[in-house]
Amino acid sequence: MPYSLPQDKPVTFRERIYLPEVLRGLAVVTRHFLRNAFFSRDANPDVLARDRRLNLVTTVQYPEERVAYPPGYRGLHRLVPREDGKPRCVACYMCATACPAQCIYIEAAEVPGDPIEKYPFRFVIDELRCVVCGFCVEACPKDAIRMDTGEHAPATYTRAEQVWDEKRLLRGPAVSYQSDPWLEREAPGVPAADLARMRGAARPFPGNAADEYSQTPGFSPRALAAEAKPRAR
Amino acid sequence: MKRFYGMAIVIGAVLGGLVALSAGFYLAAGALAGLAVRLGAPPSYGAALANVLTLMLVLVMVLASLLTVAERKWSAAMQDRIGANRIKVFGSAIGGIPYLLADALKMLTKENTVPATRSRLLFELAPVLSFVPVFALFAVVPVGPQVTVLGQKVALAVFSPDAGILYVFALASLSVYGTALAGWASNNKLGLLGGVRAASQMISYEVSLGLSLVGVLMAYRSLRLDEIVLAQGEPALGPVGAIGFLLQPLGFLVFFASAFAETKRAPFDLPEGESEIVGYFVEYSGMKFGMMFLAEFVEIVILAGLVTALFFGGWHPVVIPAETFRGWFDSPLLYGAVSAAIFVAKMVVLCWLQLAIRWLLPRFRYDQVQTLCWKMLLPASLANIFVTGAAVLLDPSLQLLAWIGVAEIALLAALTVAAGRAPAGATEAHGAHAAEH
Repeated sequence: MPYSLPQDKPVTFRERIYLPEVLRGLAVVTRHFLRNAFFSRDANPDVLARDRRLNLVTTVQYPEERVAYPPGYRGLHRLVPREDGKPRCVACYMCATACPAQCIYIEAAEVPGDPIEKYPFRFVIDELRCVVCGFCVEACPKDAIRMDTGEHAPATYTRAEQVWDEKRLLRGPAVSYQSDPWLEREAPGVPAADLARMRGAARPFPGNAADEYSQTPGFSPRALAAEAKPRAR
Repeated sequence: MKRFYGMAIVIGAVLGGLVALSAGFYLAAGALAGLAVRLGAPPSYGAALANVLTLMLVLVMVLASLLTVAERKWSAAMQDRIGANRIKVFGSAIGGIPYLLADALKMLTKENTVPATRSRLLFELAPVLSFVPVFALFAVVPVGPQVTVLGQKVALAVFSPDAGILYVFALASLSVYGTALAGWASNNKLGLLGGVRAASQMISYEVSLGLSLVGVLMAYRSLRLDEIVLAQGEPALGPVGAIGFLLQPLGFLVFFASAFAETKRAPFDLPEGESEIVGYFVEYSGMKFGMMFLAEFVEIVILAGLVTALFFGGWHPVVIPAETFRGWFDSPLLYGAVSAAIFVAKMVVLCWLQLAIRWLLPRFRYDQVQTLCWKMLLPASLANIFVTGAAVLLDPSLQLLAWIGVAEIALLAALTVAAGRAPAGATEAHGAHAAEH
C-alpha cells in the first residue's frame, strides 16, 4: 500500500519556539521515569494481563520468567511410550519418508518372539536439521511421535548433543488405544501383565486432531477461544 | 509499594550520606589547611589541595562514573524497560552499579588499536585535551559555603578567582581542541568530519553561551561564582531567594541549551552521530576511547554544577531565606555539610534532567543546529541582555527583574499548558486522515 505523509500544518508561534513542546515531552518522560523507578514491576509472564497502573514495564526477564508457549506449539519431538515403557513406534518409516529435512533416521528390528511386530532398534532425530514442520507427527499412523514437549531446542556446546537418539526421545506420558494391534491380537512379545495394564488404560482412537487426548495435555480449540475472549476485550 | 518504600529509604540514605560526605570534605579541607599553616604556607594552599582531592577526584569522578550506569538505568525507566541488571553481587543487581566496574575493566583490557597513518603526538594528546579542560572547570564551582572548621576558614571550592566566569568560558572553549584534534589526528575522513562538526558547532554556541551569562553578571555585579551564589541567598520575592532562574529564566534557557550543545550529547550529538559518521573518536579504542566517553559524563556533572551555582541558588535552600537557614544550625561544620549536600542534590537532579533531555529529543539536523544557535539563542540572549540591563538600571534592588522573570516563567507555562489542549475534534480528524490511507 503506498504511504503518503500527511501535510504538515502551518507552524504556529508556539511550535516555532519549540520549548513548550520540549517541556511537554519532558513531562511525559518524567512521568514514565517516576512510575517505573518508584513502583515495582508486575512480573506476570502473561504481559497483556500485567497490572500496569503504576509501573509500565513490559519486559519479560527471559531466563527467569518465560512466556508460556501457545497450545499447539511445536517443540522438541518425543517418542510416545506405551504403559510398559516401550515406544509405540512400529518402525514403519512414514515419518522419515515425510520429513522434508530428512532429519529422522530409523533402523527397524523384529520384536523377539513375535513374527509380525517391528520396533525401532535405532530412532535418531537430528534437531539441528529439523525444520519443525510437524509433518512427522501428521504422518505417524500410530500416534507414536509428537512435538508436544513444550521445549524448544536447548542450547548445547557440541553439535553431537543435538542428535537425539531413541533413549532420549522416549519420554512423556504413556498412551494406549483400543485399536492398537498389539492389544487386539495379544502380541506374544509383550508380557501378559503389561498387556492387561495397557488394555486397562486404552482409549478409543481420536476421531479428530483436536481431541485432547491426542494433543498437548490441556489443548482444545474451544478452551483456547474461551481463554482468549476476555483478553481481547 | 514495597519498592516505593525501598526507594524512599535509598533516597534518604543517599541524602544522609551526602551530608556525611560533605562533612568529611570540610574536615579534610580544614585539616590540610591547618597542616599548611604549620608548614608555613598560606592556609588556602592546603584547603585547595584537599578540595582538589575531595571535590574533583571523589565527587566529580564518582558522579561521572555513576552517571554511566545511571544513563542505562534511567533511560530504561523512561522507556518502560528494566535496564542493565545481569551482573549480580550476592544475587542482587544493586541498581546496575557493578556495571561500572565491568565497564572500567573492559576499557582497560581492550586491545588498543591505532591507525598507522595517525599523527602520533596529537593522536595520543587528543583524549587528554578533551578530558582535562572540562575536568579543570570544576575548580571554580563553589560547592559549599565558607565556614570555620578545625580553626581554619575553608570553603568547598578549589579556588575562587576574580575572573571566575571568564575562567569557565576560557576552559570551556579549550575543550574543543581535544575533539577537533582527535578527528584530525586519526587521519580518518569520518573522524575529521566529526571533528569539523564539533569545532563549528562549539564555536557557534560559545557566542550564545557567553552572552547568556551577561545578564547574570549584571544582576549580581560579580564574576566570582561564590559571590554570585551568596547574592542568590538574598530574598527577592517573599521567602524565595534571588536565584538566577527567577531573575534570568531566559538566560537560563539559553545557557542550558548552549552548554548542552557544548557537551556534544543528543540532541546536539552531531560530532558523534553514531548512525551516520561514527564521529571524532572513530579510531580510538581501549582507555583512550574511555577517556572521551568519561569526559562526556564529566561535562554533564560540570554543567550541572555550573547551572546549580549560577541559576539555582547554589548551596542555598531556595525557598528558605539564607539567614533563617543558617540560624538552624549550631555548628558551622553541620551548616556547611548540609549546604554542600543541598548543592550536590541539586546537581544530581540537573544531571537527571540532562539525561532526560538526551533520551527525549532526537538528533538535530546540522542546519537546525546552526539555525537554533544563530537565529534563536543569539537574538534571545541579546534581548535578555537588553531587558536585564534596563531592569537593573531602573531598579537596582532587582525587584523589577524578579517580576520580569516571573512574567517570563508564567508566559512559558501558559504556552506549555496551551500546547497540551489539542483543539476539539483534532483527534477525530487525525483518525479520519489515517483511515484514508
